[in-house]
Amino acid sequence: MFVTKQIESEHKDLIHDVSFDFYGKRMASCSSDQSVKVWDLGEDGEWKCTATWKTHSGSVFRVTWAHPEFGQVLATCSFDRQAAVWEESFGDVGREGVKSNWIKKSILVDSRTAVTDVKFAPKHLGLQLAICCSDGMVRIYECPDVMNISQWSLQHDIQTKFKCSCLSWNSSRMHPPMIAVGSDDNNPSGGGKCQVFEYNDSTRKWTKVETIVAVTDPVHDVAFAPNLGRSYHLLAIASKELKIISLTPLGRDSVIGNQSVVSRFEMKQVASFTDHESPVWRVSWNVTGTVLSSSGDDGCVRLWKANYLGRWKGISILKGDASQTRQDRNFSANPSQNPAGAVRYIQQAPVHNASHLVRH
Amino acid sequence: KLHFITAGRLFDDLMKEEQPESKTTYWDTIFRLVLQGQIEKACRLLSLHSARQTDDFQTLINLLKRMPQLSNVYKGSSVAEFDMKWRHWRDECQRNYEEQKFSINPNLETVVRILCGEDAVFSEVKDCCDPWYHMLISKALYQDPTVKACDLHYYIQGCQDAYRSTTRLGELDSILLSALESDVYQVIKDSRTVFSNGWFVAHLTDLLHHCGQLDSHRLQFGSDLQREFLLLEYAGSLMSHHSLWIVGVSYLDHCAEFGRKYLELYLDHIPLDSEKKANKILKICEDRNMTEQAKSICKVMGMRCIRNKRLGAALTWFLRSKDVGFATVLAEKYLLEYSESGEFTNLDLIDYLGPSMLLSNRLTFLGKYREFHKLYSEGEYHAAGDLLLALLQARLAPKQFWITLLIDALPLLEKTELIFSSQQTRELMKCLEELTTEYKLGKKRDGLGFTEARKDQLDVLKLALSRNLPKAILQEGTVNLL
Repeated sequence: MFVTKQIESEHKDLIHDVSFDFYGKRMASCSSDQSVKVWDLGEDGEWKCTATWKTHSGSVFRVTWAHPEFGQVLATCSFDRQAAVWEESFGDVGREGVKSNWIKKSILVDSRTAVTDVKFAPKHLGLQLAICCSDGMVRIYECPDVMNISQWSLQHDIQTKFKCSCLSWNSSRMHPPMIAVGSDDNNPSGGGKCQVFEYNDSTRKWTKVETIVAVTDPVHDVAFAPNLGRSYHLLAIASKELKIISLTPLGRDSVIGNQSVVSRFEMKQVASFTDHESPVWRVSWNVTGTVLSSSGDDGCVRLWKANYLGRWKGISILKGDASQTRQDRNFSANPSQNPAGAVRYIQQAPVHNASHLVRH
Repeated sequence: KLHFITAGRLFDDLMKEEQPESKTTYWDTIFRLVLQGQIEKACRLLSLHSARQTDDFQTLINLLKRMPQLSNVYKGSSVAEFDMKWRHWRDECQRNYEEQKFSINPNLETVVRILCGEDAVFSEVKDCCDPWYHMLISKALYQDPTVKACDLHYYIQGCQDAYRSTTRLGELDSILLSALESDVYQVIKDSRTVFSNGWFVAHLTDLLHHCGQLDSHRLQFGSDLQREFLLLEYAGSLMSHHSLWIVGVSYLDHCAEFGRKYLELYLDHIPLDSEKKANKILKICEDRNMTEQAKSICKVMGMRCIRNKRLGAALTWFLRSKDVGFATVLAEKYLLEYSESGEFTNLDLIDYLGPSMLLSNRLTFLGKYREFHKLYSEGEYHAAGDLLLALLQARLAPKQFWITLLIDALPLLEKTELIFSSQQTRELMKCLEELTTEYKLGKKRDGLGFTEARKDQLDVLKLALSRNLPKAILQEGTVNLL
C-alpha cells in the first residue's frame, strides 16, 4: 500500500529532476526556472523547503547529492553549459525554520554544449563527479581535498560520439570504475544508444567496453543497481521500454586491439517491460538493488522485483495524479524506504508542479 | 479454544448469571461448547439448568461425561483402542437418540445429534461453528476423530458448501486449504503475496527449513536460498523502520549467504539522526568487524561536527575511527585557531587525548604543546622548557608553528631563574636562525615575510636568547667550578 503525498513546490516552471540524499531525509529539486530547492523531511513527516536559490542562467537539468562523508554537497548541471558544485553553510543551527545557505563552491565550464547529467562517483573513489553533454563529451572531475571543495580538476574526458542524455556510475567496489552513458538521439541508425565505459588502471584511461546494441530507441535514464556481492552487474535502461541488462565480466585477458575493443562482458537482457506503454523516463533502484522503480509517460510509477530465481516481474503500480496534464516523470527511489514485495511502505510521489506541462 | 473465543466468553458470562437458562445465549453457548469439544464446560452449564434432574438431562450429561477423550491415548492405549472406545460410545449415543429419550427438549436433541455425528445437524448449527474450518474440525471430531490429515479433504467440500451462500472463499481460506493438503510450497507462495507483512512467511519457511521439511531438490537453488530470500525480504522491510531496524539486523545475521553484504549496505544507509543512534550502529559494526562501515559512519558524523564548528566533537569521531587524515586536518585547525586567537578551545579533549594522540603527527604535536602550556601554568618551568625544545628539535612542529613556539620561549627566557642551559640556548638560537633564513629566502621568492609586529617579537627573542647564553654559561661554569 502506498500513500501519495503532493507537495506544492512553487517552482515556476518545469521540474526536471528530483533527488533524494543518501538517507532519504532531504530532497533537492531543480527546474527550468533556473533555481534549485532543497527540502527537509521534518519530524512531523512533512517536507519543508529549507532553501531555494538561483543556480544557473538556463534550465537546470539535473541535481544530485554527494555522499554525506563529504558533507552536505550538491551538484547541478544546466542548459547554460555549466555544472556547479554547492555546499551548505549553516547559519544558526537548531532554530526551526532557519533557511540554510548554499554556497557555490565551483563551476565547471569546460563544456561547449548543454550539460545533460551530473553524477557523483561512488565514495570509495573519493570525491569525483562525471558530467555528460549533448555534444557527446563525458568529463570526469576530481576534488583532491575534501576539506576544500572549491578545487576541482578535470581528470578525464571521454568522447562518446553520440548525444548524451544521462549517465550512471557503477557503485561496485570489487570492480574497476565503470560508467554507463545513454543517448536520446532520435536517429535510429545511430547504433546502440547506451555505452559502457570502464577505467583501466594500468593505462589510466577510460575506454569503452560495451555498446548495448539491443537498445536503439532514445534513452532517457540509466541506472546501475547497487552491487551487493553479485558477480554480475545490473543496468536498468529507460527508453521506449524498460530494459534490465545484466553484464557479467568475463576474463581479463582480452586484448584491446587497434580497430575494435574486444567485448569483455557477457550481456544478457534480463527483462524488458512495455507496461508503461509509453516512453519510460526515469529509473531508480532501492538500497539493495532488489527493487527497481520506473516512471513513464503514462503517469505511473511502477515497481519491479525479481524472485529468488532471478525472474523479474512487476509488483506494484503507483498512479500519480489522475489528471492527464500532470505527468510526472521525475522521481528517485527514497533510499530509506525499502519496498519489498507486498510490504506496506510510504512512497512519496514526485513533486507536482502547478504548471507542470507535458513534454514531447 | 484459542481461535474461537466466543464460546468461552459466552460461557463466562453465563456462569455469572443466577439463572443461565433464561438467557437466549444459553443453548447457543452449549452448542458452541460441544462443537468445540469443550465437554466439561458444557456439562457444567447443563448442570445449572433447572430441569437438570430430569431423565433426559441426566442421560445427556452422562453421555457427555463418558465421551472418550483423545488425551487418554498417550497414556498407553493406542489409536485403534481409542477408536473402538469411541465407536462404542457413539453407538450408545445413537441408541439413546433413537429411543426418543430427548424428544421433549429439541435443544437436548440437537446436542445428541451432534454427538452422533449426524451430518444434517451441522448445517443447522452452522452459525455456531463459523467459518468452514471450524465446522471441519467439529465434524471430524464427532464423525471420525481419528481421521488422518490426508483424508480431511473429504470433509472440506461439505463444510465449504454449507457456508457458500453466505461467504466467499477468501485468500486466507485458500492458504488454509493448501496447508490442509500439505502443499508446503503453495502455502509459502500464497502467504508471501497475501500477507502484507513478511513476518509469517519468513518464519514459517525458516522453521520448515530447520526441520528439513523443505525438500531441496524441488527447488533449484536449495531450500536454504529460498529461506534466505524470504528472510532478506522481511529484514529489508524492517530496516526502513525507524526503530525496528535493530531487529532487522538480527535477521540479517542469520542469512548465511547474502546477509552480511545486505547488512553492510543497510547500515550505511541508516540515517544518523543522533549521536546515540550513530553509536548504536557503530557498536553493531564493530561487533561484526565491519570496519569500512564504521569508518564511514565516523566520517559522516565527524564532517557534520566540523560543519557545525564543533571541532572537539569532530575530533572524537575521527579518533574513534582512527582516521589519520582527518585527525591531522583537525589538529591543524586547532593549531590555527590557537595562533590566531591565542587560545585553545576544547581544552578537555586535548588534555585527555592519551595514547590516541599518536594517531597522527600533528595530533601528537598538539597534545604535547598543550602539555607545555600546562607545565608552564603549573610553574614547572624547567620541564616546560625541556619540552619546548624537544618539540622543536624533534621537528614535530610544522614550520609555520615554529614562530609561535619560539615566542613561547620568551617568557621562559625572561624569568630571573635560569631555565635554559647554554646548550639549550644554542639550540634555540639555531632554530631561530633557521627560521629567519628560510623566511628571508621565502621573502625573496614569494614576497612573504614577517609582519612588523612579528619582526619586533623576533628581535626581542634574539635579544633574550643572547642575554640568556652568557647567563647560562656563567651559571654552569660556576657549578663546575664548585
